[in-house]
Amino acid sequence: MCERWVHMGARGSADMRSRGTRPPRVGLATAVFALFVVALLLSVPVPAKAARAGPSVAFAATAYAVTWNNVDVSTAGSASAALSIDLTHSASLLYSWSTATPVNVSDARLQMYYLGFAVSTRDQVVSNPVAQSRGSIPLSWTPVSVAYLLEGVYRLTASFIAPNGTTMFSENFYVRGTAPLGVLAILPIVLLIILVYELYMLVRSGRYVTLGGKGPSPPPSTPPESSTATPPPTEDASPPPAEDSAPPSGGSS
Amino acid sequence: MSAASHGAGSGVVLGIVLVVFLQQVGYLDLSDLVPTLEYLLIGGVLGGVLGGLIGWALGRSYLARQAAREAAASK
Repeated sequence: MCERWVHMGARGSADMRSRGTRPPRVGLATAVFALFVVALLLSVPVPAKAARAGPSVAFAATAYAVTWNNVDVSTAGSASAALSIDLTHSASLLYSWSTATPVNVSDARLQMYYLGFAVSTRDQVVSNPVAQSRGSIPLSWTPVSVAYLLEGVYRLTASFIAPNGTTMFSENFYVRGTAPLGVLAILPIVLLIILVYELYMLVRSGRYVTLGGKGPSPPPSTPPESSTATPPPTEDASPPPAEDSAPPSGGSS
Repeated sequence: MSAASHGAGSGVVLGIVLVVFLQQVGYLDLSDLVPTLEYLLIGGVLGGVLGGLIGWALGRSYLARQAAREAAASK
């Protein structure tokens, strides 16, 4: 028994030694890959899926529907199924409901989200709302102010608002807005310029190795004695003139 | 290690900008704040690591080329 324990311990230490001889980059790559996988798992939009479960349960008793240019927005529930829209053209939305008991809808709201913030909100307020078991509210929206600036996929939320301000029903859907100039909109062009510049700087980064203390040996025409005997560089010489040129604090007061 | 640090800096910016660029021209959804921050963090970290490795390799090749050039000039 005792010999067995000793044997297992010796084997484990051998394993540890063999692991210690592995190059450390394998461990770093494994850690980066594990971080990437965990972040991907955490980014699964669980709250969005859970939010869609509520209206479907209530769908049996009440029916709320929103159409975007006669297309039901529930068909664009994910970014890959986003409605393709032109940011310069106006969109006609129709908020309709059909319920067993009359409901009072006072506002139809459309919000566009980016980075978690509502960058655009459009309200169609009903004056003197009355309780109805079925009805509809038309809404027209033209995102002209961002037409030449942005492209891409955005999440929109269509909401039915009660007179007391509570949200009776809301539905998230996605649109893919295309700018009039396509990828030549302002933000994609700025991002492209930054990408090209940073790629150039990345390719050119090899030249900076000479600044890291591992540069090539100095040319033979430059004697090392002269470099040590020369006066300090201009960085050390610049502060004294700055101090001399500055006015004394006592004279200004 | 200045080449690696410069490469890492460029890689961080590239990773972050690439995430925003994919939202503009692709189908990456940046509507919610939390996954957006995760995407930006992952892009920055991956870009920094890859950029650092690329910068380090480019620095080594630059040093090798400089040494060969100096050896050729001295002959």
